[in-house]
Amino acid sequence: MTDAIVEYRGISKYFAGIRALENVDFACKPGTVHAILGENGAGKSTLIKIMSGVLQPDSGEMRLEGKPVAFATPQAANEAGIVCMFQELSLVPDLSVADNISISSPPRRFGLIDRRAQVRRAEELLARVRCEDVDPNAMVRELSLSRRQMVEIAKALGKSPKVLILDEATSALTARDVGTVYDLLAELKDSGVASLFISHRMHEVEALCDTLSVFRNGQHIETFAKGAKSEREIVQLMIGRDVEAQFPPKPKPVAPEDLGDPLLKVRGLSWQNRLNGIDLTVHRGEIVGLGGLDGQGQKELLLALFGVLRDVEGEVVIGGKKGIPSSPAAAKTATTKVALVPEDRKTEGLMLGMPIADNLLASSFQRISRGPFIDPALSRQAIEDGISRLQIKAGSASDPVMTLSGGNQQKVVIAKWLMIDPDIVLLNDPTRGIDVGTKQEIYRLMRDLANQGKAILFYSSDYAELIGCCDRVSVLYSGRIVAEKQGDDITEESLVAASLNIDVEAA
Amino acid sequence: MRISVSNENKPILIASLFIVVILLAGTVYTLSTAGTAPLLSPKYLLQQLQTGSFLGICAAGMMMVILLGHIDLSIPWTLTAAAMTATAVGGEMALPTALAVGIAVGMLNGFGVAFLRIPSMIFTLGVDTVLRGLMVAQTGGFAPQDTATPLMLFLAKDRLLGIPVALFVWAAVSVFIIVMLTRTGFGRSIYATGSREGAAYLSGIRTRFVTMGAFVVSGLCASIAGVLLAGYSAKAYQGMGNAFLLPAIAAVVLGGTHILGGRGRYIGTLIGVILIVLLNSVLSIMQMPEAGRQIIYGTVIIAMLLVYGRNQRVTS
Repeated sequence: MTDAIVEYRGISKYFAGIRALENVDFACKPGTVHAILGENGAGKSTLIKIMSGVLQPDSGEMRLEGKPVAFATPQAANEAGIVCMFQELSLVPDLSVADNISISSPPRRFGLIDRRAQVRRAEELLARVRCEDVDPNAMVRELSLSRRQMVEIAKALGKSPKVLILDEATSALTARDVGTVYDLLAELKDSGVASLFISHRMHEVEALCDTLSVFRNGQHIETFAKGAKSEREIVQLMIGRDVEAQFPPKPKPVAPEDLGDPLLKVRGLSWQNRLNGIDLTVHRGEIVGLGGLDGQGQKELLLALFGVLRDVEGEVVIGGKKGIPSSPAAAKTATTKVALVPEDRKTEGLMLGMPIADNLLASSFQRISRGPFIDPALSRQAIEDGISRLQIKAGSASDPVMTLSGGNQQKVVIAKWLMIDPDIVLLNDPTRGIDVGTKQEIYRLMRDLANQGKAILFYSSDYAELIGCCDRVSVLYSGRIVAEKQGDDITEESLVAASLNIDVEAA
Repeated sequence: MRISVSNENKPILIASLFIVVILLAGTVYTLSTAGTAPLLSPKYLLQQLQTGSFLGICAAGMMMVILLGHIDLSIPWTLTAAAMTATAVGGEMALPTALAVGIAVGMLNGFGVAFLRIPSMIFTLGVDTVLRGLMVAQTGGFAPQDTATPLMLFLAKDRLLGIPVALFVWAAVSVFIIVMLTRTGFGRSIYATGSREGAAYLSGIRTRFVTMGAFVVSGLCASIAGVLLAGYSAKAYQGMGNAFLLPAIAAVVLGGTHILGGRGRYIGTLIGVILIVLLNSVLSIMQMPEAGRQIIYGTVIIAMLLVYGRNQRVTS
């Protein structure tokens, strides 16, 4: 026990009487990469918030290198060598990369910030995460999500951690950056740093971690060495029940001539230089995937179809009617209704501070109103239907939506849109950062919706999802569709090759 | 939290308690100096509320805009412009003209903020200044000679069943606002847009029209207040709205509406108005000199907001 770098005993934490962590014992050894697994709401986030000084435990003791400690603030934890990289990106968009990296303790000269030293420091740290191409003087808002996350990692490294906590650190990364993070964690391991790694991607955990701990319902279920349990057993531990196949079965592919008219037809769609002539069709009952590396125009394509972007060129036919909706409000009220589940549920999908009920109803005021007034009975019914249809786990519909776990928040976004009964559903990486159980529910839901005759356009940064869920996958590269795969041609290899715009068969 | 009071209701509770404290302190003072308790007489309270109704109606409109995270600094001269045009037009058309002025100013504000994307603090300040220039140009800088119409006098000064008519107007405005905020899609859209405009837009809410609508309600409320105030003073005059801007903002914020938008209940704004009206009246009963009144008034607002801030630390 004495060889643990951090050790926790009997940690409990309650929020308004609801158990977040109960009597948790947890230890972590130096020079290891330790995975913490569990569904959202299992207590992982609470644990790392306690470790990093954001929250105070209600009871229990913490020891760092054998000495009892208590952190009143994240700064105190940082100084003691526990550094956390949070799931929610904590960079200031309007400051430069260098400013952000040194934000808590900038190098000073005569009491003023030494900009040159700060830039040098940023360059060194960016080099360690192999992001030499990021300009330290660039504003963070100009970087892609993946690059931002790498800057976040550089910032964490800058605090010379003894214990580095990575909360969903790879969820927004491109394949190349994920590789960099792998190398980095191996490097840190050799220098005796303990890394705590929280991820919902099992293959990453398999590849990286040597010890795994599973949490469920605020309790520490089990800790074991990698390889001691099969993936299936681990998933069972996490969700506490048996799981059937991860993806729902796909229907037999329909011959192209039997598909009929497409519900969504896109020809030569262009916008600024982010979309360069997209051709795409989606039929009723189909799930069409959008693949490719992060930032190749997938997000812009979905936004354009939803009427968010101005000055989009090209031809779009939705349900036989020509033209792009002029706004999201027009998209949801047209005869062929379009819904979009946006990329960032915290800023684009939800009004976080508002009650679950208001969030659920945000797209449906017309449907629940009689004349100018909202009908309380209709709105109550709509809320109940939404919650039960997606099995949203919520105490009360009047609680703010931010009290829900990530997976349940995403379900609120989806439920909000299902309420308008859309014909075309656009999904922008809907499973990012949510737990395995909820992911599976979303896969099943997508298939159910397709079977009901809806057309689904689905962007995911996870190849496994595209392979498992989609009838067809279009791969984007630099604002163009470079490949379209169908049926058994949708393989990890073919998707990766297409993402990098290389032709495997020809090579 | 030990007592189960939601964060939204806490400021309302504190403000209500503070009203009781003000009344008690004022009564103790008058009892010890004059041996009477005028503050607790219904007649005195009704009279205070009658003058408070002008502020109350301004604050109701201001609240719509603050719920969006914006602010309407054009209220003083919207009020004055509405009152002046009403008295200038006179006759039966006085009231509709005043309301039309309020709606027009509100649409202009809404257009500037929602469509031209100019920060509301700047745009409404500009509109306020332009209106002031227009009114000075129209009247030559003097108080206009026109007088309020009989209808305006009735609304502001008369009593029905012993209750000032102005209070009925305030009550009607309040019912309208409450129903709108809680029972219409437009009202819920105001909260959604104020809470996070991007998410509201992507939910298919026409956020620009919602913003425009809120500014129109604000302009309309200011013009109603202008009509009442002109009736109360029997005429319109330069600068008649100047005393309403900051108290209206203070009343909304003291009532627990979040200054950055998205949160707040109308009942809080009502209580905030009553608090400010009573605080002013108790201070004047105490014959506090103007300088001292302003110091106490400002200190109370800051102190109460500090108290709210301490209570609103949410665990997130």
